[in-house]
Amino acid sequence: MNDIPLSYFLIVSALLFSVGLSIMLLKRNMIFILMGIELMLNAANLNLIAFSRQDDQMQGLAFSVFVLVIGVCEMTIALAIILQIYRQFKHIDLGAEKSRF
Amino acid sequence: MNPMIASFLVLAGLTSASALAMAWTKNLLHAALSMFMCMLGLAGLYVMAYADVMAVAHLLIYVGGVLILILFGIMLTQNPRSQDYEAPNDLWTRQSGRFWSLSISLSIFLGLLWILNRSMDSFSLASDDIQRSSKLTHLGLALLTEYSFAFELAGVFLLIALVGATYIAKHHE
Repeated sequence: MNDIPLSYFLIVSALLFSVGLSIMLLKRNMIFILMGIELMLNAANLNLIAFSRQDDQMQGLAFSVFVLVIGVCEMTIALAIILQIYRQFKHIDLGAEKSRF
Repeated sequence: MNPMIASFLVLAGLTSASALAMAWTKNLLHAALSMFMCMLGLAGLYVMAYADVMAVAHLLIYVGGVLILILFGIMLTQNPRSQDYEAPNDLWTRQSGRFWSLSISLSIFLGLLWILNRSMDSFSLASDDIQRSSKLTHLGLALLTEYSFAFELAGVFLLIALVGATYIAKHHE
């Protein structure tokens, strides 16, 4: 048939997850780190949707809707906290004092 | 090569290339732009997995909501250094050493590939036939019958997060 094999989706989502992890470890700006976390959440979502393709109950699809909602909530709260941190410290650079590596 | 595989490869290439550009660049606005491209490619991948509802919801929420939120966050947390309005939009950020992060994430990626390669012929799915129809009716019915409690809980959770975010972000004297 013309369908895409499941392993292609899994490889793309493994790549997205590891790139998100590397962004989280590499960057020092807080907004950058949030973008990395969003990338990792979306990698998990792609896995759920790719597996629920073969499920006639579609449990993975219903779960990915809730993952989307939780991701949006986390994003709003984290941006509000970052705004308050900027007002307090005048920068949002993590580890501005001393770099360990 | 049939057209499904070709378009999947194009979309996967767009998604992974823009994710790698996000990791590579130090400019915050370029990273927001590549996150936009990444979300577009990811919505196309959802269409390729026959989940059209999730593709539309993903476009609406991420491109329309989260990215605007990130851009406002970037604008509100920058030092107004110069009053030069014709300066280019360069928001350079610092980063830690590349060695540890790249080695950790590369080893995790290779480990995931190794696990996938080992387990691909040993696990079996519940059914082999792929549902190719639109998932809109099924998902709506499932959200309002089987998952109705979780659906209402998600709505209340969104409301709490909204009120909490506005409370946290306001000026406390």
